[in-house]
Amino acid sequence: MDTVLSGLATGFAVAFDPFNLMLVLVGCFVGTLIGALPGLGPINGVAILLPIAYGLGFPPESALILLAGIYYGAEYGGRISSILLNVPGDAGAVMTTLDGNPMARAGQAGRALSLSAVASFIGGTFAVILMSLFAPGLAKFAVTFSPADYVALMVFAFASLASLVGKSTVKTLLGATIGLMLATIGIDANTGVNRYTFGIPDILAGIDFLIVVVGLFGMAELLTLVEHQARGTLKSLPVDKSFVQWADLKLAKWTILRSSIIGFFIGILPGTGASVASAVAYGTEKRISDKEGTFGTGDVRGLAAPEAANNAAAGGSMVPMLTLGIPGSGTTAILLGALLMFNIQPGPMMFTQRPEVAWGLVASMYIGNVALLVINLPLVGLFARMLTIPQHYLTPLIAILAFIGIYTIVGNPHDLYMITGLGLLGWFLRKLEFSLAPVILGFVLGSLFENNLRRALSISGGDWGILVADWKSLLLYGLALLVVVLPIWLARRSRKRSGGQEAMAD
Amino acid sequence: MADRIFAAVLLAVTIGYAVIAFTVIKAPFQYDPLGPESWPQILSIVAMLCLLGVLWRPDVDHMDVPKAVWFRLGAAVVMLMAYSRLYEPLGFVVATALFGTAMALMLGAPRWRALAFGVGAGIAGWLLCVTLMDLNLPEGAVVEAVLESFQTEAN
Repeated sequence: MDTVLSGLATGFAVAFDPFNLMLVLVGCFVGTLIGALPGLGPINGVAILLPIAYGLGFPPESALILLAGIYYGAEYGGRISSILLNVPGDAGAVMTTLDGNPMARAGQAGRALSLSAVASFIGGTFAVILMSLFAPGLAKFAVTFSPADYVALMVFAFASLASLVGKSTVKTLLGATIGLMLATIGIDANTGVNRYTFGIPDILAGIDFLIVVVGLFGMAELLTLVEHQARGTLKSLPVDKSFVQWADLKLAKWTILRSSIIGFFIGILPGTGASVASAVAYGTEKRISDKEGTFGTGDVRGLAAPEAANNAAAGGSMVPMLTLGIPGSGTTAILLGALLMFNIQPGPMMFTQRPEVAWGLVASMYIGNVALLVINLPLVGLFARMLTIPQHYLTPLIAILAFIGIYTIVGNPHDLYMITGLGLLGWFLRKLEFSLAPVILGFVLGSLFENNLRRALSISGGDWGILVADWKSLLLYGLALLVVVLPIWLARRSRKRSGGQEAMAD
Repeated sequence: MADRIFAAVLLAVTIGYAVIAFTVIKAPFQYDPLGPESWPQILSIVAMLCLLGVLWRPDVDHMDVPKAVWFRLGAAVVMLMAYSRLYEPLGFVVATALFGTAMALMLGAPRWRALAFGVGAGIAGWLLCVTLMDLNLPEGAVVEAVLESFQTEAN
């Protein structure tokens, strides 16, 4: 407890620095704007703005605070396009459309927006509180991890990724492997041997993380926007004067609490972020509270559940990133890459070695959540106006921002072709229903995975038995197995049950 | 079908990757049991298994992209390539004005508004990024030369 309080004191000292405070506010504001744009989710927003934030030359904690602000601001803003347009900004906001949009269509857009803002606030704050309680302890435990345990942790991360993310397990696994393979390009750090460089000097140090991120997310998103251009214009519902009532909150309070808990813990699972959390929370609430069958027709609880959950998951996914160095979602994978660019190795030592970064980030999330609520309640009309920005200006703007970002960092026009090429690859992958988050996770974790495996085998002198020699590793392999088997078993069971019911109906 | 074609292409790439991993990469000397070649070898095997899985059971039949959309996507990629090519020679302001206008026009913006958008994005981007935030953007060799000739004329 002591470490938590003194850590928070350090953190708030960093976060209340006027400059950082301004960055929290700017990040939240810009993030909400980006989240509100139809089709642009948090991950694309962070990907496009990351190089610019890096190029500004801020100290690492400030840049990270800005990026994190954009991240949860965008999680917040995603609900606006879901509710008013019925177009989710990303996978995490899909569930919000189910009850949010019917409410808006019934002339209660203001009530839906303010209720979801409050639910998001509670979910987000809840997650940050849990995070500041859990993270230091987890970090302390993680210090005792041996290289072999890290290998087991990676296996667990990729197992939960493969089983919970995306439509097809094989494709998710393949995506992660593509990321891992991309990460092997460049000089091998242990022996100095060139791998897959084909004599091209530009990639001796490996493919730049920024280029992969901006290409796979920013440029691929741009191509998707181009693709969807001609399919009709979007109609936004008006924001009215209705507002959230105490009765709504009273009705939804247990929903919000349950969903926050679900969201936080699903967020912690490596690789699974807001999309899984909001889907699970909505499903659970539907089962628990939907007695009258009002879910999907504009029930306040159906709106509150996914919103509380996806913001809690955004906080939860920060926990493994900060304590283990393993990102909990695609977006935190990008933040992790950002830390690496500042030469900060995220992981158990970060809370002790760079407390100003770790705790500063945590503290900024407290402030950010309050700021988002304050910004969002009165300014929602302004954000809603973002929805009417025509796509034909938005699309070129993404390219312009991406080019500025890449050019200012790398300063090499060769890389502008690279992001276009990677964007094309990303578009194909998306089109074929691969999700891109595993690719970036694999890319970020590639060297960590390989180095720990090699270190573990060096310790044992080549005996592969070391990988299963420790109870921590065994526990993690067990969890990995569980995370793969459990969903399959549950699906089987529910299928059997519904099959049984049909049989009875016959 | 689309799945299978993509997987086949990736499989070809992966086989190339594997061949390099198994034959080319070698450390001149090493103390560790796992050399630089082992990890790529493992990855290539995992990737091949996954690809065979996709080939065995593909789940996306059609790309569902009409011809007109293919054309538009191709045009967008060409514009991006041209933008990359012209970024340094023409400089940020001019290249962005051209790209912004062309892209907005292609996506159906009214003519004059597209022009205003492109030029505005170029100038505002320059002012915001270079003047205000002190970022490094290309001024453009051509623009520089023109500016210089103006200056010498004024002298």
